[in-house]
Amino acid sequence: MAAKPKISMYWASSCGGCEIALVNIHEHLLELADNFDFVFCPCLLDTKRHDIEAMDDGEMLITFFNGALRTSENIEMAHLLRRKSTLLVAFGSCASGGCIPALANLTTREALMETVYGSGPTLDNAVHVVPGPTTTVPEGDLTLPVFERTVGTLASAVDVDYVIPGCPPESAQIWAVIAHVIAGKPLPPKGSVLGAGDKTVCDDCKRVKEEKLVSRFHRTWEIIPDRTQCLLEQGIVCMGIATRSGCGGLCPDVNMPCIGCYGPPEGVRDQGAKMIGALGAIIDVQPMKDMGEARVAAHIAEVLDTIPDLAGTLYKFSLGGSLMQGGLATANAATQATTAESTAR
Amino acid sequence: MLTTGDGSMETTVGVYFCHCGGIITEKIDPALVRTAVLEFPHVAYFTEISLMCSEEGLGDLVRDINERRPDRVVIAACTPREHEKTFKRALAGTAVNPFLLQVVNIREQVAWVVDDPAAATRKAVAGIRSAVARVVHNLPLQKIEVPTRDETLVIGAGPAGMQAALNLAQSGRSVVLVEKHPMIGGMPVRYESVAPNMECGPCMLEPMMDQVLHGDAHDRIELLTMAEVTGVKGFLGNFEVTIRQQPRFVSEVNCIGCSMCVDACPARTPHPYNCGMNDKPAMAMPFLGALPNLPYLDMDACVRATGEDCTACRDACPIPDTVLLDDAARTIERTVGSVIVATGAGLFDAGRVPQLGHGAVPGVLSSIEFERMSSPSGPTAGKIAAPGDTEPQRVAIVHCVGSLDKEHCDYCSAVCCQVAFKFNHLVRHRFPEASITHFHRELVFPGKEAGRLLLHGLHQEKNSFVRYGRLADVRVVDQPNEREVQLRDGAQWTSAGRYDLVLLCPAMVPGDDTAALSALLDVTTDRWGFFEELHTRMSPTQSKAAGIYFAGTCHGPGDIPHAVSEGMAATAAILSSIVPGRMMELEPIRAEVIAERCSGCKICLSVCPYRAISFDEANGVAAINAVICQGCGTCVAACPAGVITGAHFTSEQVYAELRGILA
Repeated sequence: MAAKPKISMYWASSCGGCEIALVNIHEHLLELADNFDFVFCPCLLDTKRHDIEAMDDGEMLITFFNGALRTSENIEMAHLLRRKSTLLVAFGSCASGGCIPALANLTTREALMETVYGSGPTLDNAVHVVPGPTTTVPEGDLTLPVFERTVGTLASAVDVDYVIPGCPPESAQIWAVIAHVIAGKPLPPKGSVLGAGDKTVCDDCKRVKEEKLVSRFHRTWEIIPDRTQCLLEQGIVCMGIATRSGCGGLCPDVNMPCIGCYGPPEGVRDQGAKMIGALGAIIDVQPMKDMGEARVAAHIAEVLDTIPDLAGTLYKFSLGGSLMQGGLATANAATQATTAESTAR
Repeated sequence: MLTTGDGSMETTVGVYFCHCGGIITEKIDPALVRTAVLEFPHVAYFTEISLMCSEEGLGDLVRDINERRPDRVVIAACTPREHEKTFKRALAGTAVNPFLLQVVNIREQVAWVVDDPAAATRKAVAGIRSAVARVVHNLPLQKIEVPTRDETLVIGAGPAGMQAALNLAQSGRSVVLVEKHPMIGGMPVRYESVAPNMECGPCMLEPMMDQVLHGDAHDRIELLTMAEVTGVKGFLGNFEVTIRQQPRFVSEVNCIGCSMCVDACPARTPHPYNCGMNDKPAMAMPFLGALPNLPYLDMDACVRATGEDCTACRDACPIPDTVLLDDAARTIERTVGSVIVATGAGLFDAGRVPQLGHGAVPGVLSSIEFERMSSPSGPTAGKIAAPGDTEPQRVAIVHCVGSLDKEHCDYCSAVCCQVAFKFNHLVRHRFPEASITHFHRELVFPGKEAGRLLLHGLHQEKNSFVRYGRLADVRVVDQPNEREVQLRDGAQWTSAGRYDLVLLCPAMVPGDDTAALSALLDVTTDRWGFFEELHTRMSPTQSKAAGIYFAGTCHGPGDIPHAVSEGMAATAAILSSIVPGRMMELEPIRAEVIAERCSGCKICLSVCPYRAISFDEANGVAAINAVICQGCGTCVAACPAGVITGAHFTSEQVYAELRGILA
């Protein structure tokens, strides 16, 4: 009997939810094990990095890589698993879009370190110990992976064959992809998105949608939304309009807005920018008709202020893969470099 | 020729560089550009032409393209606003589709604005790199052709609407002329005289009205009086119009206008065309001399409305089947290719400035009330009288009632100064000894004729002029047998004279029906509530919806010559845009919904300034009407799902262009 193809799952900068989603395929795990040799998954299996290093290049058929690239170790593992896998799949929002870890790109590495280890209200760090790549202690030097300047997606470091989006990907969708491979069906062109639809969440959402006109936005706790009307029409920032279908519309089904975890739809590069375009299109301009320019600006600011964290809301799952990518972290680094240069002079 | 637009490596691009007769090469070194550009992917060759827009240059361009047969063409020359169309036309003589051309502006944006020749050359190279990167993704597009209807709907039969209807009918076009009132002629037909030359309003308009009713082309004008447009759908070349016509209760065909029914009518109601200053029978002519010469029955005022079986009018009528007491409203449907809105303006309600006393103090009249009072067809048969039927010897005329006033209308109403001086003229003519006081803010008399009216009024011995600052500082107080005009200085009100008559000249404001009609037509209104032009100066009679035009005061204050000119202007636009038998050719730069990926969120529905997007309920997807779409790209940007694409401006093309310039 020929050896079973090898499959692996790795977590880089992630929460572990993707592994739970995999395990949630329940008894299908047995079918997975029947058809694949599940060789590597730090969350579930005891194989180590050196076991992978010992493999031939391309020896593993599939690697599901979840998590964003935050540290030099994440990047090393991305390169290693790329080399050892025939098909490398960006699995989940962190690997495909940067997800929550990439929101760190809205600030700098230094500011993050300061908040977490220096000035946090629950900290008592009088000697200001901050972890770094090398720390010298009497016994010698301790090393840690480098905390990179920005958080990247898997594709920012290596060539990616497919993407399975979601935070986490829905278990049924994960199984559908695995079952597809087991059945020996042909795979779509490289670069395709698997385990998701090619429309938006609105397609699955059962709510009644009408022409939209919104004069202010509400946070979810501020109103009790009607259960049948489109949430966006009720002033709730629902990301369903700019989010790839695939989840089945679970959140709007339970009266909560879509938060965008399946990332941008087919053909859209920047989910947040699309949301900004769409929100701009539905804000009621009628009250602004007779206003002067200054008053219009103030009015727009007032309306937008009803969404407290625009970037965090609209780019929650996709900042790392968006047009901004490195975001402020890159911009600030550039500014700092310029400032340092002029100071030195 | 490769037409896939996939940017594949086999796609070849020919680059043409115009010297602009030395203007471009003064700054940009073509030899350096050539070396750099020939290194770019896809670029097959680099050709210089000394003056590409000249006949010789265009000939060289076409000949060279036909010899070398590139898949795509990039032209580095002046701004595309100047000659992109010229070059596109030239491409008709080649195998290259005009949309497979990309023009780089290296004159206005480089040679003319960059001082350093080295920097200018670098910038030109970057521009060409960007155009090459884009053009390999361009797709060949074909112009869209649609059939059109050459009938026109004209709404409103005042001077503007009548002029438009006449011009169209005289050119052989059919016109549906819809008028809300039972008579035509608009506002000036109700005026005893028209400024600045004091012509009689009805007499001045009579030839025009006669042409509409009986002229050589009248059989091409379908006049629907007492009718209003209730529905419009469609687009330039094909509007489906629904019209609701109220019953006149008089046969337009049989009636000879003898008025015997009017004399027989026992019911009385306030006269709507005399501002309620007198009564009229329920069956009546709108006013003496109104055209068409037909009475109409106001059924709300008729005693039949109270259940009485009165047939006095029918009994008095000498012609059988002419008074039609069981007449009913009709719904009329027409298909037209264009629409002219000529619904006129309204008058600012002087009652909104209560201290002026209009409606409360006797002898305070608005301009239209005084127009009617001075008209022989008005409530007093033309007798100008103060309260108590006395001769007015002291007359105050208050200008700018609502105009040039931030609290009301912040614009000048254009004609009221002339109206005020016209009133001066009328009063002076009847009562040579009367003293007349003008309370004014500004005096506006533009144009070659109005000045005479101003000079005439300014130099009369018994005229005086008082300039006031704010309308809020003017008030009219009722005194026994007279009215006192008072002006405020600080907190103090002081008398500015006592008068027999006070005439107010209110601002011109949007007509009552403007908001409703703008919604029906899907055209916008401006911040004052007038219809909004495509461009107030450059396209003043065109709405933002293709095929819908404005004429006259419906889109802002103006005078009669202005209205007539605009009626003609709108007609010219229609005659040149819709030619019978000619298909309408549309630019192929349009937005399109990828229906199979649309999730029906309806974000796009409200953003289209042309109302080109509708919702296909059966399939749950948005649909764009390619004829109405103007390719502005608003919906492309707004579509959160990325399923609306703009032809010739796809994301792929725009990204390629950006990557090219940033490389």
